[in-house]
Amino acid sequence: MSIDQQSDSRIRVLLAKPTHDCHDRGVRLVARKMRDAGFEVIFCDFLVPSEIITNVVEEDVDVLGVSCSAGGHMPIFEDLVAAFKELKLDDLFLIGGGVIPEDDVTELKGMGVKAVFGPGTSPEDAIAMIKQEFAA
Amino acid sequence: MHDERTLALSKAMEEKKDQSYNKMIDKFGDSAPARAVGATTHSGIPIKPAYFPHDVDDIDLEKDIGAPGQYPFTRGNLPAQYQFMNWANQPVMGFGLPEDTRARMDHLTAKGMTGYFGQTNYNLVYDLVSHEGLDPDHPGARGRVGQCGMGVYSKQDMAILFEGMDLRKINVVHITYYQSVPALAQYIALAEEQGIPASDLRGNSMNWYHQSAYVGSSAFAPDNGQKLAVELISYCNKNMPRWNTTNMFGYGVEEAGGTAIQEIGLMLAYGIDLVRDAKKTGMSADEVLLRVGFQISQANDFFEEICKVRALRRIWATYMHEEMGAEDPRGMHVRIHCHTSGAVLTAQQPLVNLIRTTLHAFGAALSGVQAMEVSAYDEALSIPTEESATLALRVQQVIQEETNITAVSDPLAGSYYVESLTNEIAKQALELVAKIEEQGGYIAAQKKGYIRREIEASADRWRELVESGERAIVGLNCYKEENEPKPEIFRVDREAEKIAVDRVQKLRADRDADKYDKAMAKLKVVAEEFADKDVSEIGDGSLIDAAVDAARADATTGEMMSILTTALGWKTPHEY
Repeated sequence: MSIDQQSDSRIRVLLAKPTHDCHDRGVRLVARKMRDAGFEVIFCDFLVPSEIITNVVEEDVDVLGVSCSAGGHMPIFEDLVAAFKELKLDDLFLIGGGVIPEDDVTELKGMGVKAVFGPGTSPEDAIAMIKQEFAA
Repeated sequence: MHDERTLALSKAMEEKKDQSYNKMIDKFGDSAPARAVGATTHSGIPIKPAYFPHDVDDIDLEKDIGAPGQYPFTRGNLPAQYQFMNWANQPVMGFGLPEDTRARMDHLTAKGMTGYFGQTNYNLVYDLVSHEGLDPDHPGARGRVGQCGMGVYSKQDMAILFEGMDLRKINVVHITYYQSVPALAQYIALAEEQGIPASDLRGNSMNWYHQSAYVGSSAFAPDNGQKLAVELISYCNKNMPRWNTTNMFGYGVEEAGGTAIQEIGLMLAYGIDLVRDAKKTGMSADEVLLRVGFQISQANDFFEEICKVRALRRIWATYMHEEMGAEDPRGMHVRIHCHTSGAVLTAQQPLVNLIRTTLHAFGAALSGVQAMEVSAYDEALSIPTEESATLALRVQQVIQEETNITAVSDPLAGSYYVESLTNEIAKQALELVAKIEEQGGYIAAQKKGYIRREIEASADRWRELVESGERAIVGLNCYKEENEPKPEIFRVDREAEKIAVDRVQKLRADRDADKYDKAMAKLKVVAEEFADKDVSEIGDGSLIDAAVDAARADATTGEMMSILTTALGWKTPHEY
């Protein structure tokens, strides 16, 4: 297998964090751990969800992780889910992280967010879940 | 520090102790706990199982420790610590609409929140929309109005916040990120409407541009941030002698994962850069330093966090006096608002956080800080509820009223361990300062990404220790509960956003358009000129004068920030 083919087979992850939200310690750790685990990780800050959507399309990612630790997560996920439906990006594996209340997590899962990794979870949990999803 | 007899005795005592201690190590073998054989502080400083007089022998009583109120102020800025006046209760407040925040201010005042000498002070944090330099009707504000702070965007919002209050009689800390100039301008303009000159105002701007080196939100380009910092200091020097101009944000270093050594080392490194640049405009070191304060964290490593504060007072005073030309003792003082750590609090078993914050606050009091914010126990879950905010205030009040520790200044001085650790932290912090100076100073190091990399390495190291279980966190990696009850979560009413949007749009419609246009055109010209200036050319006050004029004309934070960010450059910190 050539190097190119190897890199083609890597799982591509986009991690996004609102520019307003200074709590980036978690998402940056997740980015480093995912790179160590062999994923191709793109990191972006965003002001409005459309910036994420552009990145998802241009970078053709398999996984999108959105970190929010300062509230305001619901409108972001609402916009994202609606856009992905319209773009027919049904295979995109959407996860969340940060400080998100339990009730919202339930609602987010109902909307199609696969998992939300809050305080106390480890980056390895997310990595394992993604690996399982993309095994085969 | 000790005579020969004491030294010999001290060493013999340790040797004898070690003989027995080492037998225990042999007996335990591999099952000896890590702390028994190779303990370190959170910063990674090796610590011994017990300390002796010879461990402090290289410390000079006069030069390194001194007395409370005497140079180098290791033991405190003033001869008295809490004997005549407790530390100020400065809980951080801010959520929802201005009237929501005002209700919390009144609530905590009713619960006994007290400032210096019984004054009323309010430590008010602006929301994320304001931090980002936006107004509530910007698309990027959606879902964030009044989150993590108060939705205050104009002089009019401030008028609601302080309704019925005499601004001369209160002390207001405006916790902004990079919107310090608009927030100060709006406050000055509001005071004018009450007939109060700016020179009578008391409070604090953050001037926090330096935090863009390690805090992950949008910011001005570092050089222009520095110019804004110098502009505000220069303006207040001339016009607002009672205003505290700058807050050294050490707290953010530890919250981002940095160590105690990095927290104080980086603050000194930035202080040096700030004084150096301000001097280029003709200010003296004292003129800069007299109104500089600190926000310092108090986290889990009890003694290291206390020693860090003592070490900071010493290295700041000595460096500022010996190297930077500070002559007024008040310019050498490290005035500290301690904020107990939020990053070490857990979402699991949240009430346990009350125990942690009590220890943090107790440590802060032993270290001798001037003001305190105790994090609420539900910090890892949401904005504090009224109940949790009240309990956080009660933590301070219990320590102040019940423990009798307020009777004695720097009560841990002379402890072999405390003095030895204080000395080691000071030494290593100065080594970090030297490394940053070699790179051309704090801002040069920031632009190279050095500061962020150093802090991130510490954050990773800490995380690994927690994940491996080497560092225990109750409820997280030990003593876990299976079925925790659902915690009560505070939520900002989503209606607040709608009201904030309506208000800002009505303000735009109602204000004097000519007056506004004229003031904003002027601000734009001045901001563009400001962008072209070298730091040495700062100091005519033109930028803040123009901002105050804009605020008088009811310019909003988002409108003023839009001019400033366009003129001065604005990016996410990861791009610097």
